[in-house]
Amino acid sequence: MSEPVVHITSLTLKYQHTPVLQDLNWVINRNENWLLRGSSGTGKTSLAKAIAGLVKFQGSIDIHFGPESKLPAVAHFVAGWYQFKDLEGQSNFYYQQRYNKQATETTATVQAELENYGEKHQLQFNEVEELLAALGFSDLIGSTLIQLSSGEHKKLQLVKALWFKPQLLILDQPYNGLDKLSRKNLNSLLEEITEDGTQLIIISNEVELPSTIHRFAEIREGQLIETSADEYTAEVYETAGKAVPAFLNEAPVSSSESIIRMIDVNISYGEKQVLKNINWEVKAGEKWLLQGHNGSGKSTLLSLITGDHPQAYANNFYLFGHKRGSGESIWEIKQRMGLISPELHWYFDPTATVRQSVISGFFDSSGLFCDPGYTKKAQADELISYFGLTEYRDMLMNQLPVGKQRLVLLARTIIKNPELLILDEPCQGLDQQQTQHFNRLVDELCKNGTTLIYVGHFESQLPDCIEKRILLENGEVKTVETILESI
Amino acid sequence: MSNYFNTLPLREKLNQLGVCDFMDSSEFLDGVNALKGKKLVIVGCGAQGLNQGLNLRDSGLNIAYALRKEAIEGKRDSWKNATENNFTVGTYEELIPEADLVINLTPDKQHTAVVNSVMPFMKQGSTLLYSHGFNIVEEGLPVRKDITVIMVAPKSPGSEVRAEYVRGFGVPTLIAVHPENDPEGKGLVQAKAYCVGTGGHRAGVLKSSFVAEVKSDLMGEQTILCGLLQTGSILSFDKMVEKGIDAGYASKLVQYGVEVITEALKHGGITAMMDRLSNVAKIKAFEVSEELKTIMRPLFQKHQDDIMSGEFSRIMMEDWAAGDKNLLAWRAATGETAFEKTPAGNVQIGEQEYFDHALLMVAFIRAGVELAFETMVEAGIKPESAYYESLHETPLIANTIARKKLFEMNRVISDTAEYGCYLFDHACKPLLADFMTKVDTDLIGKNFNEGKDGSVDNRTLISVNEVIRSHEVETIGAELRKAMTAMKSIKTV
Repeated sequence: MSEPVVHITSLTLKYQHTPVLQDLNWVINRNENWLLRGSSGTGKTSLAKAIAGLVKFQGSIDIHFGPESKLPAVAHFVAGWYQFKDLEGQSNFYYQQRYNKQATETTATVQAELENYGEKHQLQFNEVEELLAALGFSDLIGSTLIQLSSGEHKKLQLVKALWFKPQLLILDQPYNGLDKLSRKNLNSLLEEITEDGTQLIIISNEVELPSTIHRFAEIREGQLIETSADEYTAEVYETAGKAVPAFLNEAPVSSSESIIRMIDVNISYGEKQVLKNINWEVKAGEKWLLQGHNGSGKSTLLSLITGDHPQAYANNFYLFGHKRGSGESIWEIKQRMGLISPELHWYFDPTATVRQSVISGFFDSSGLFCDPGYTKKAQADELISYFGLTEYRDMLMNQLPVGKQRLVLLARTIIKNPELLILDEPCQGLDQQQTQHFNRLVDELCKNGTTLIYVGHFESQLPDCIEKRILLENGEVKTVETILESI
Repeated sequence: MSNYFNTLPLREKLNQLGVCDFMDSSEFLDGVNALKGKKLVIVGCGAQGLNQGLNLRDSGLNIAYALRKEAIEGKRDSWKNATENNFTVGTYEELIPEADLVINLTPDKQHTAVVNSVMPFMKQGSTLLYSHGFNIVEEGLPVRKDITVIMVAPKSPGSEVRAEYVRGFGVPTLIAVHPENDPEGKGLVQAKAYCVGTGGHRAGVLKSSFVAEVKSDLMGEQTILCGLLQTGSILSFDKMVEKGIDAGYASKLVQYGVEVITEALKHGGITAMMDRLSNVAKIKAFEVSEELKTIMRPLFQKHQDDIMSGEFSRIMMEDWAAGDKNLLAWRAATGETAFEKTPAGNVQIGEQEYFDHALLMVAFIRAGVELAFETMVEAGIKPESAYYESLHETPLIANTIARKKLFEMNRVISDTAEYGCYLFDHACKPLLADFMTKVDTDLIGKNFNEGKDGSVDNRTLISVNEVIRSHEVETIGAELRKAMTAMKSIKTV
């Protein structure tokens, strides 16, 4: 038996001054592939970054790469959050900038980005083409980075990592934002590279994994605990048994019987048509599921509804009974809805405190810019307590792990008890337990007559109240149907 | 046409220079109502034009773009910007006659030509909006008497104007009404509504005058904002190379250092910037900056005097007439400096290191900000205006240097600012020649604290802190920054 590939002894590590890992030991032997799971905030990401040499720690991490292996002798970490830069090396992008046509030319194309990456790591370009095809990415090769949706950015990150094929590959939340088919294809690709000698550490609470994953672990109280495949400690979810704050139990006032009415809506960027002749009506109180594979046009469709797309003005559609572009401001539109999406999270002000972030839901701003007054503060505190976030109330968003940030933004989404809820993959980064609890909360809110548009790639994880479904395919409406039984 | 300011009696000069009112948020409760249902036509679709238009439309206003026939037929960038974002685009002849408000967002140099060609089409009683007063004040372009002339000037690059709006905030903005052209008394109401449309009302609005805006804007950009940043960058880089510091390191320290150092300025003024240094280093930086202030004060005064007398605009307009001969030659020369041509080295420089290893740059920035502010206030400009045109904008300009050095800065700023920047730089470098011979690597390139035990005399430290903190740019700055809550960090590093 050769020596272990990764040998961690007495690893101690702090996240934002709070100790997360305490004297942690872990041995990863050759040919082992691990899944690391558990609640957010237990230190999974910190551990992964320590192995990849990206953070400071105490204790020792010895990595022995295979001397005969032809794969790069690197522990390569793929972060849960994607990052990209413009041609001047900056990443000062802003929310929904990708819909502003003028801004798209400031970033590289996917093709250029990949060529650059390939050159840097001495990779063959023909090898990447197969990966692009497998993840349904080939059509995007000419797109610029800023135009990509969050799911597409995730895929680009994965394509690069699979192409690079390091000896040790650490993937943090690789399934976030991927549609069902892409998740399946990703697993096959991961199985292939493990056969070629890459070892995997995957951080995820997903249950459908590459078949080559055969060891499982969690971090409990700073220590690594090996578990069996189906033994798993769910997060104690703080809302369990708690009553929903009373101010959320009032029926929202619907401004019009028809909330959204689209008539032959089209969106294109140059030659590329992203939405084609969309006709869709959402009536007050309806609960919709919006589905479609990555790149099918879901985010663009939603951006029209949320007032974030400049091309809204060139289309024929009605929001809350008023024709879009008839003198309303986007703030009047946003006032009537609660929104969460991967992009809203990505661009959210990282220097706002938890409390400011929740209160900002009243004003639809990213961060808080005014004194909200007593009532709003009190309601925010009540909701923060409901979500079990009281101890984090005065911390900055960037001091929290991504899963906790997500809970904060969910509280922000519902705080004004809006007449329309737009939940675009609301539970990304949460575990199954948390997802179920949130969906139950959505069911509860929707009993009051709230209109709902829900986007979710995991069909097993949807609210019960959903009654209608619209399916997009390549920018067109494929199916509109009423769901008789719950999905 | 003649210089408008110079036609005024002293009383009126002082009166207009002194317009300065930091507006209460209650002034904006009427929202965009004064412009609702009116036709707004923007002339020019560059970064400011496009982004202001996007914001105004998202605020429920009716926006179209008037472009020159050649721009439309040639499908130039301005045409693309506007049409690809689904705005109506037309020629002056097509759109201006319908317009209630014509917004001139073209470069200074084109103002006379643009305004002269749109004015005949403007309807009786309509309004003309500028974002800079040069054309009115320095060139003295007479506008038809039935037309209201106003100014709304967001104090940020166009992309920031958009980015801050979509996150529910705005950028600090200056507004003004030209007293010669407010026949119906509606100028201020419209300027306020426009300001709400761009989101500026959320971040602090200063009511100014065309005169005060021009005289302070020119002064700020020529001296601290562009001129001194250019001089300081070049001198710091050259000194390091002369003393044997690795050129790549020197290049990076200067290029990104201006941004990191002025980021502290943005959040807490000169005080916060100086407080980033150790006590010993702070005292040294204070002494150096005091010396710099003494050396450079006459140059700052000369610039202010030439701006007030109209001498600056006279010689610049001569250069316009000569096809920008000087401007282009100076621009080319800047591109040839060693700093510009040495790429930033591939070395890690920690955030604190940018302060500790660049004490000289900290001193340059303190001296420049305070001198610009003091000189403007002495010339009759109100402290609030002087703050915006000195301290407030320094980090924004520093960000352009971090992106692509001086070339980028000079590309982003207006040609007017660029011209003034070179004038200052060319005069400032010889002025500092003697001073620079005394500078060694402890002030620039190496850690000033190295080899020192860090102890200081209590009374010296207290009096230095006192001088820094009680400066008027600090007291007024603290007040104004309160309105600009939650400013986003702009970071390249």
